[in-house]
Formats: sequence, structure tokens, C-alpha cells
Amino acid sequence: MADSSAPKPSSSVKLVLLGEAAVGKSSLVLRFVNNDFQENKEPTIGAAFLTQKCNLPTRTIKFEIWDTAGQERFASLAPMYYRNAQAALVVYDLTKPTSLIKAKHWVAELQRQASPGIVIALVGNKLDLTNDSAGADGEGAGGGDGEDARKVTTEEAKTYAEEEGLLFFETSAKTGYNVTEVFTAIANAIPETSLKTARGPGASAAAARTEEQRVNLNGPRDPNAKEGCAC
Amino acid sequence: MLNLSSFVQKAQQLLDPNQGLNITDSDRNPSKASLFQAQFRLPASQHPLYEITAELTIPLANATQSDRDRERGYQYAGKLHLSESYLCFSTTPSSFLQSASTPTSSIFTGQTHGGGPGGNGFTFPLSSIRRVERLHSQNFQFALAISTWNGISQEAAKDKDRKDLREQRITIQLASSRQACERFCDGLKKGLRTNVGNVTKLKKVVSECYSEYLLRPEEQKNATPPDAGLGLMFKYPGDPKKLRDRAKMRLWAEYLRDNGRNATLIRQPTFHKLIRVGLPNRLRGEMWELTSGSLYLRLENPTLYADTLAKHSGMESLAIDEIEKDLNRSLPEYPGFQSEEGIGRLRRVLTAYSWVNADVGYCQAMNIVVAALLIYMSEAQAFFLLSALCDRLVPGYYSTTMYGTLLDQKVFESLVEKTMPILWEHLVKSDVQLSVVSLPWFLSLYINSMPLVFAFRVLDVFFVEGPKVLFQVGLAILRINGEELLDAADDGAFISVLKSYFARLDESAHPKSENPKLRAVTRFQELMVVAFKEFSAITHNSITELRLKNKDAVLNNIESFAKRTAIRNLGPDSKLLSADELAALYDRFYGVLYERQQRDHIIKQEQARRAKNSRSRAAAEAHDESIEKGRVGLGPSTSLMDYDAFREFLAGMSKWAISDAPSTPRRETMGDRQAGFYASFRRSDATLSPWGAGPEPADHEFLQRLFGKWDVGSASALTLQNVVSGMARIKGKRDIMGTINYFFELHDDDGDGRVDREGILRMSEALLFLSRRGLEGTLSPSSSSLALSTDNVNGGGDNPGQSINERFLGSVSAFIRRCFEYADPDHPQNQNAIQDVQERLDAQKLEHSGGEELADPDAFAIGDDDDEDDDLLTMESPSQSPKTAAVRPDKKIGQPPELQLNSSSAGLSPDDDMSARRRVSKAQSVKANAALDPSNPLHITLPTFRMVVLADELLEQFFESSFPASFHILEGLASSTTPTSGSSLTTFSSLGIGAGRAVNAALGGAAGGPGAPAGGRGLRGVLDNIVTDGMRVAAEVRRRMEEAQRELEKNALPGQRNEEDDDEEDDDVGLGRPSGAGKSGAYSGDAERRSVRSSDRDLLTGADAEASDATVVAAGRASGSPEGGSGGNGAGNEPGKGTGAGKVVGVEFDG
Repeated sequence: MADSSAPKPSSSVKLVLLGEAAVGKSSLVLRFVNNDFQENKEPTIGAAFLTQKCNLPTRTIKFEIWDTAGQERFASLAPMYYRNAQAALVVYDLTKPTSLIKAKHWVAELQRQASPGIVIALVGNKLDLTNDSAGADGEGAGGGDGEDARKVTTEEAKTYAEEEGLLFFETSAKTGYNVTEVFTAIANAIPETSLKTARGPGASAAAARTEEQRVNLNGPRDPNAKEGCAC
Repeated sequence: MLNLSSFVQKAQQLLDPNQGLNITDSDRNPSKASLFQAQFRLPASQHPLYEITAELTIPLANATQSDRDRERGYQYAGKLHLSESYLCFSTTPSSFLQSASTPTSSIFTGQTHGGGPGGNGFTFPLSSIRRVERLHSQNFQFALAISTWNGISQEAAKDKDRKDLREQRITIQLASSRQACERFCDGLKKGLRTNVGNVTKLKKVVSECYSEYLLRPEEQKNATPPDAGLGLMFKYPGDPKKLRDRAKMRLWAEYLRDNGRNATLIRQPTFHKLIRVGLPNRLRGEMWELTSGSLYLRLENPTLYADTLAKHSGMESLAIDEIEKDLNRSLPEYPGFQSEEGIGRLRRVLTAYSWVNADVGYCQAMNIVVAALLIYMSEAQAFFLLSALCDRLVPGYYSTTMYGTLLDQKVFESLVEKTMPILWEHLVKSDVQLSVVSLPWFLSLYINSMPLVFAFRVLDVFFVEGPKVLFQVGLAILRINGEELLDAADDGAFISVLKSYFARLDESAHPKSENPKLRAVTRFQELMVVAFKEFSAITHNSITELRLKNKDAVLNNIESFAKRTAIRNLGPDSKLLSADELAALYDRFYGVLYERQQRDHIIKQEQARRAKNSRSRAAAEAHDESIEKGRVGLGPSTSLMDYDAFREFLAGMSKWAISDAPSTPRRETMGDRQAGFYASFRRSDATLSPWGAGPEPADHEFLQRLFGKWDVGSASALTLQNVVSGMARIKGKRDIMGTINYFFELHDDDGDGRVDREGILRMSEALLFLSRRGLEGTLSPSSSSLALSTDNVNGGGDNPGQSINERFLGSVSAFIRRCFEYADPDHPQNQNAIQDVQERLDAQKLEHSGGEELADPDAFAIGDDDDEDDDLLTMESPSQSPKTAAVRPDKKIGQPPELQLNSSSAGLSPDDDMSARRRVSKAQSVKANAALDPSNPLHITLPTFRMVVLADELLEQFFESSFPASFHILEGLASSTTPTSGSSLTTFSSLGIGAGRAVNAALGGAAGGPGAPAGGRGLRGVLDNIVTDGMRVAAEVRRRMEEAQRELEKNALPGQRNEEDDDEEDDDVGLGRPSGAGKSGAYSGDAERRSVRSSDRDLLTGADAEASDATVVAAGRASGSPEGGSGGNGAGNEPGKGTGAGKVVGVEFDG
């Protein structure tokens, strides 16, 4: 995507993913960053770091994505990762009601503890396991073909998101449905002002220098680099 | 000796001023046993029994060489240690002094600095020793020749003529006094004898070690190799040629042949060198097992793994769910974990561990670590190695709060700051958080960060040298990439620098060098050199010290996070309370639970110590293992509050929840606890009392009701959520109607909106219970009354504050009267005869327990249980009112109630006269009679209750502000809660009212009159004791009303006065009370009568008269029965002491 970025102003946005274990946080990121999906994604230890650009008509947003571990006991590490984040993706599994409760807890945590003005998107993932997805092939834990595995209604989550002033999407990392839309919506929602103060001076220069070393966005993944590894 | 030293240690712990800092004693003063276990990597069951300076002589490699060579061999000076099942030798100096502390433990300067099997030597299980001979030696008094089972099968041993039998034989010369040597040898003899039965077990355990196969004798050439991990099936990672695996194997085979294998291996300098260059694939698992000490865990309980799996087969748990999620994503690039075989092994090991260590359960990253282990070792080996990791090598890494991980990140950061100040400054300036990079290194032991082959090389050293290796490698990574990192200005850049570094670890470190040798050095080799040379100053000790320094801050961080999260997730009820109140409730809730757990632990430890007086080790062991629990930050701790904890919790907030007299059990425990010895220790009294330093909580029916009400799930335990919800309903709304409703609901057992006769009495008892230490909040008539709770110890008559509390008593009596007056009758029904009998029995029980209440507060609970039974009966026949009957048995249905009451307490003859007399007067108030008649059940509804409450200004104020305000959520949280325990009570008795008689009686001649200062505390104790008892308080209400009634009657019939005096006289005689005290009691009784008359005269209608009649009996029961009197006496002396002790303890604790 380096081709089109020349004239437009570019700024980086720190985005953190939070949510219960195995709701598909890493898969969402992988879909967004590499347009790829892996059934067996290594669990994230601590947090994985990836970057991806998002081209808007007026500007380019470079997401620095912190994909955090979902297991409950890793929760106390989360502040380390959402520190200074300008955007957050709070993910739940729409076949698992408890994951929405956990998501609500994360939203509350972010609203209280994260940087003020953080843009939060609530994302219900695994839409492919429900009947309302076009290409639902019902794969996954006990999803069962033809049977609707959805346990969280769109209305319930949407109402909550509206109450709390969150962006709301239902996605499928597996099919890729709505994934890019989430990130684009976040990019659009980031206020212009917070972009300028996002990073200290010199940051963009350093970022540009290391650009080529970053994840190759379009090409096949480097077989040597382990998946989701932070370093 | 051992015993004494452990006492000394204990004393040090108790005196340690840092106690409050949450740094546990085991951190600061590692016990001798734990140092010993850490040095030789032995299980917790092993304790250093004997130690002796010695010189080890190992014969030269080839035992078939000439005798001349054998004479020389290798010699090492060091210390020989003997534990229950192990004989250990190490050249590193030991520090097992009587009271090991940090300064002494820092003497460890071996290669592993006390963190592992450092230096040269051996760790022989006693069962591996075949024979010990005493040699004649000229230089030393004692020389032992030890030969082992190394490489000798038991069958082969029988065949003495075998030529190829090469026996491992070492010589140890003991250098100490003859006595010490004798003692050591005796111990060794004993140990060998007890371990002789374990030889077969050992043989079986070591047969799973690859070295046995590697060095197998000729005739077993075709034996199948033991399980050396998935690598045997799926190939080991990396190119064997590049790893020079064959050459390494040869070197190891040679070393093992010469120095013994697995359990009988002797560590010499070559051993450490061979490990540094990387272990050969097939031996890797075994060496990890040996150097980490997990081999000894397996030896101790060889079947634990299989047993655990069998025991829990088919069971489910949260951990198992979590494990399942990760099975398919653990080192997925390794072919073994793409197969059912590998996945199955991983599942079994993780599951088994989650069962044996349920506190840790399963933590992401464990899957990666275990997957890596399984490439090189069998399931059982991996299982025990995981134990060694979680318990010793990386403690707290995988706990539910991951405090170990966070702590080591802090330690790592401070090491970076110290060793690389420029880089550190750069990190701070560019706001890069180091741990986002380094945390995964530590958590997954570099397995997830470096290519596997290199990560395993790090592990090779890690297992032998301990956790400091993780730090050394981490520092070396930063040092090597320092230049580039200084250019990186944000997390992202930082991460990519390191990522690309790890990807090129196999490349040459000096690709442009002229020197071909230098060119051949890979980046990984460079990393190892930097780590272990440049950062050789990073020792186990420096890590331990830094951990100690940062531990408290890290735990506090975790705890404040946990608190924040918990409070936020409390649900809608919590919104009724302020953030401060929620925080305070949280602190109080967990504070009480933690305190109780610690106390419980210490008490148990003491018991264990006394039980096993011969060996203090049991206690020491328990101490090491579990003292760390309880703190929220450390991981799983109880989060449920039982009834006792609830009482303690309330006692910390509310004056009324503090017991008026410490119970007898407390004193008993102290007495039986070698009080003489412990009295010299600070805090010992406090810590050993079941309630700690705080005041003893009261036990009252009201508390039980409140607990039951809050315990929404009927789990007999409260969660923080329950407590917050419960508190929110009392304190949150701050509207009087809400509080009144709540109080009513609290007493409406069946939730039908009605409270029956017994319930009304319970309510009034509860009101008195709650107000007995004075009312709080805003009371309009005289706000000065707020201060009243401190000064009316001796019942001085003209304290201005008294009037409020006195008036409140009046209000309560009016409350009872009005309740009965306005109560609605139930449908009258015939009593079931059978039930009647049952009730009478119950009543007698109750009666009986009532007599004992002074001595034993629990008796009240017993009586209450009976009541509960009644409740059940009530449920079956709801329209009847058995409860009333239960308390006041009605033998003669249809007769006026007062007569029945009297007849039930037959010992009180004087009352019979009175009641007969009163029956006449009662004839005037037939209506009220009906209200009290148990055969005419009645109840009040919420509106009635509300009306009755609002009819009285004081009651209204009580519900408006006093009651909610009596829960001091915020106040006094940081400081000790003791002061309130000494505060005085506002009761009938402390006001010098009629009950004073009983009090004085109970005191007997021991204490002087009520006014005597010496008797003050004792008197208070008695008062407190009396007032604690809710039934008794109610009795006082009734009695007081009766007195007022008498007053009325007196006015009507002056001639009766004498008779009444006689009554009092009789009471006195019955109680054996000195007449002087009796007079003062009578005097105060008069005062009370007057005050009642003035304030309540207008209320004393016929209904009052009825109620007062009931009190005659109740009061008589309380004070008149001999048991009651003597019980009161016993209790009377004790609370004085109790309160005194409690105070002193409190002060010391604060200081």
C-alpha cells in the first residue's frame, strides 16, 4: 500500500484489542492485516504487535495494533497495552453470552482508565456460525450445520453500544465479513486533533525508517516468523 | 535443637517490623530447609539433618587403570549433607546456619549462587547407594568409600564374578570432630536402612532415563529406547549435523560413563561446560529433569502422573476448557503437534497438572512451555518438570494474577536501568514500555521468541543455573541491539528491531571479519557469551534482592487493579454507594478474609508444631508452602465470607456488632497455648486469638438475620457482591421508608408481609441490640447525646446524653405496646395437640439455654435453632402461631397468659403471688389480654409497622439516620478498630436501672459496689455480657414496663408496697448477693422507675400492663435461677480481663 500513500498526510494510531479468550481477536487482526485466516492460531502471550495502514480519502491512518491475550489472568497486564491507545476493539463471541459480559467489563475499564477520548468499537465476531451470515458453514465448536449458534442478539449488543457511545459491528474473521469496515470506521472516528498529538516529535521519522522491516502486508507470510509473536 | 531454632526463627518473624509490608518471612529469611532444597533441587520433603565438612575423591575416569592412578583422582573440598533420603555434596559453601537470613545466605557464591546444584559434587538418593565402607585413613579420622548402583542391575550384582561390572566408587573423607563424624555416620546408617526398600523404585524411575539405554550393556543391544520425547518420532527441531548432535552425544556418553548417570551423576567442571555448549537431543530431556530436580519429584512419587489422570478421568473443569482451546495452537509448526499423538500428550500433561495444582490451573504460555518439553521428554517427565517450574524456577509466573511475571518484569527493568542507563533513558524518553517486549520472553522462557533450537539452548542453562539466566539473556539481547534500539522511538520500532534480530540468530556475528574463526561465531553464540560473561554479575542473589524490593509495589498494583475491576463489575446496586464507600467495603471485605486466613494459618501452624514437637519440620514446611496465600495479588484466595467472618466484618464498622464480652473459648485457647512462652512475643496474643487484634464480634439473632438476608443465594457465604448489595439497601437510599421496609423485611421470615408476635419481640430486641452502645446520626432533641457513649460507665444519673438513650428505651417499649395494640388478629384456630407438646419441649430447651447464656453466648444460637425448627412447623401450618407458644409455653390454653408464663418458671414463687394479684388488675384490660394470648395469633403488617415507627420521634430518627449511620464504612479503616470495643453501653444496666441488681449479684462480693472504681471494668464486663443476650434485653424491657406498672398499682394501692419490697428481697437472697450492693441496685431501680414514670406514664395503658407481666417471668428467669447467677459470676470476671487484654494488644499492634 506504499503506492498510494505519498501525497496524503499519514498518522499512526495505537489500537488495542480486548476481549475474552478465543473470541477471535487475533483472527480479526490477521484478517485485517494479512487478509488471512488460520484455524489454529497460537494463543497470544502477553500481546502481539502488528501494523496495517488504512487509506481514507483525506488521509492515511497507520494502525499500530496491540493484540492482547484473552485469558482472564492476563487481564492485569492489559493496562500495559492500552496505555496511550487512541482506539480499542472490544471483541465478543456472538455465540457466547458470557463473552459479551466480559466485553462490557472491558468497555467500563477503558472508559475509566484509558486515555480520554479513546474510540471504542464493540465487535461481535464469529458471524459465520450464525444463520444470518451468507456463507455460514457452521464450523466450530458444536455450531452444527443449519443450527443457529447465535446467542447474543444484534439488538441487545447494539442497544448497549448505543448507550455507551460505541461503534458497533458484527463480523466474521473467517469469511472476512465486515472486518475492514470496523477498522475504517475507527479510522474515521479518530478525531483529527488527537492524531497530531498522538506521538512525540520524531516518531514518524523513526516509524518511516523501520517501515520496510515491518510486516509485509500483502505478500505471503514469512515462514520463519512465528505467528502472533510480539518480537 | 531444631525445635529451639525454629522458635527463634518464629520469634524473629514476630518481631520483624516489616511484617506489615506484605513481604513474607519466607522471602526475607529463607529457612535453612528451603535453602538446602533450593541448592540441591530437592523436594520439600527433604531437610538438612546433618552436615559435615568433607573432601571428595573421585577416582580417575577409567577404573580399570592401575592402582597407582586410582590413588590420585580428582579431589574436591566441600560440605557433605544428609537429608531424609539424600546424600549431597557440594563444593559451594553452605550457609545452613541455625537462623539463616539474607546476609548469611548470600555466602552462596557457587556457579548458581544458591539457586541450583552449583559447583561440583553430587546429589545421591540414598536408595542409589549400594554400599558404604569405612576406610582406614591416616590423615583423617573418618573416610568413607561409597559405591553406588550406577549401571548395575540387581541381578548383575548377584553375579560377583562378572568382569564388565564397573562399580562407581568414590571416597569421602570427613573432616570434623570424632563425635560429629560418628553422628553423621549414624545418621547415614539409619538413612540407608530406611531407604533400602526404595531401590527397586529407583531402578524403575531411572529406567525411563535415556542414559540407561545409552550406556546399556552389550547383551541389551537390542533394547527399545525409553521415551525421549516426541522428537524420537517426529525428529528433533534443527539440523542434527549443524547442531553437532553426534559429537555432543559422544562426549556425554563418555562423561556419564566416567561420572555416573542420572541419579548417580557426579558434577564436575566438564558437566557445566557440556551444558553450556548445548545438550544433545536425546539426552536433553533427562538432563533437564536432573538439573531442575524434577527427577527427585518423580522419584518421590513415580506414579503421581498416571494416578492423577486416572483419578480425574472424565472430569471437567474450567482449566480443561481453557486447555482445549489452546491445544491446537501450541507450537503448531512442529510436526508432532499436528498429530493426535502430540496433542494428546500435551492435553494429558496440562490437564494432570491443572488437577494437582488447582490454584494455578492452566495459564496460557504453559501450553507452549509444555509442548517444548514434550519434544524431549516423556509425559511423566514433563509433568514433574512443569511442577518444578511453577513451584521453584519461575514462581508466580502462571498464577492467576501472574504476579511472578509482573514482578520479574519490574526486576528486569531495574536491571536494565542499572546496567544500560543510556538505553533506559531513551526508553523513558520515547515512552516505550520495556515489558511489552520482554514479558513474553520470560513468560514462555524464550520459546515463543527465538527459533526453537536457540530457545532450547537457553533452557539447557536455565534449568541448571536458575531464573537468573532469563535475565542475563534478556540483558544481553538489549546490549547487543543497543545501537539500533537507540534509534527506535516507539513500541513498534522497538519490537521490529528485536524481531529481526531473533530471526537472524544463526547468522555469523562477524560476517565481515578476516578471521575465519571469528566469522564462524554465530549471533547466538555471541548472545550466550555476552549473557554469561558480561552479565556474570547478575546472580541469584541480586535477583532475589530486587524481587524483594519490588514485590510489595507489584502486589499493590495488581491488587488495586483487581479492586478497580471488582468494584466496577459490582452491578447496579453498587451505584447507590459512593466510590469511596465501595472501595472501603472492598478493603474491609478482603481485609477480614485475609486476616482470618493468616490467623487461621498461624494457629494451625502452632498446632502442628505442638503436635509434632519432636520435629519442627512439619510446621516449617507448612509455613513455606502456604504462607504466600491469601493476599489478593498472589493469586487465588478465598472470596467468600462465612458467618463468622461476616460478624468480624461488621464489628469493624459498627459499634453494635462488637461483642460486649469476649467469649470463653478465646481465653481457653490462650491458656492452653504455652502462654508463658508466647507472652514474651509481640502480637502473639493478637495473632493467636481467633479474632486477632480486633474486637470480638457480637453474635446476635439480628446479625444472623442480616447475614441470611444478604446471602441471596443461600450459600451460607457472602460474596463481595452480596455484601455491597446488602449494604446498598441500608446505606444507599438514605430514605426512611426504605430503611423501615428493610427492617420489616428482615423480620418477615416467610415473606408474607406479616410479622407475628414473636417477630415483634424480635424487632424490639434488635432495636435494643442496635442501640445498646448509643445512637448515632442526627437526633434532633439534643445533639449532645452523640457524645454519650463514652462517659456513663457508672450510670451517673445526670448525664445529659442519657436522656436520649433512656428515651429510646422508652420508645422501644412503646413500640412493643403499640405493635400489639394495632396488630391484626390471625384467624383463630385450634392448637394441634401434638404440636403443642412439641412446642413445650422446645420451650423448655429454650428456657434451659436461657439459664446458660451468661456463660456461653453460643447457647443463644442453640435456642435459636429450636426456633428455626418452629419455623419449619410454621410453614406446614402457617395459620397457627407456634412461635409465641414456643417461647412462652401455654400449658393452660384459655387462661390469661401471665399465669402460664409464671407456671413455666416454677422456681420463682414470689412471682406467683404477684401474678395472682395482677390477674385482678389485668381484668381491666381484657382487650390487651387478647393481644398477648397465644391462642389468638396476631401479626402486624408493613403499614402498621411503619405507622408505629413514625408515631415515635426517636424511632423515626433511628430509621432516618441512626441505623444507616451506624455502619461506618469509611471511618477508621486504616487504623485499628479496637477503640470501640471499650466504649460503654447504653443499656438499662449501664444506666443504673433495675438490672443493676442482677449485675451486682453476679459480681458477688468480688467487686465492690457499683460505684467503686476498682469494680468498674468488671462491672462493665458483666453489663456487657448481660446485654449481649438479646432475650435478656427484651426481658429488661418487659421488666421495666412491669415496674412501671407496679408503680401505677402502687399509686392505686399504697399498701402493697411492702409486698413488693419483699419480692426484691427474695430475689436478692436467691442470688446470694451482698445486701449493700442490693441496696444500691434497688436505689437505681427506683431512679429508673421515676424516669420511666415521667417519660412514659401516658403510655402505660392496659396493654403495657400485660406486657410487663410477661417480663416478670422473663426477668426472674434471667436473674433468679441459680445457674444464671453462677454463670454470670464466671463470665463477670472474665470479660474484664478480656477487654483489658484486647486493648493492650491493640495498642501494641498499632505501634
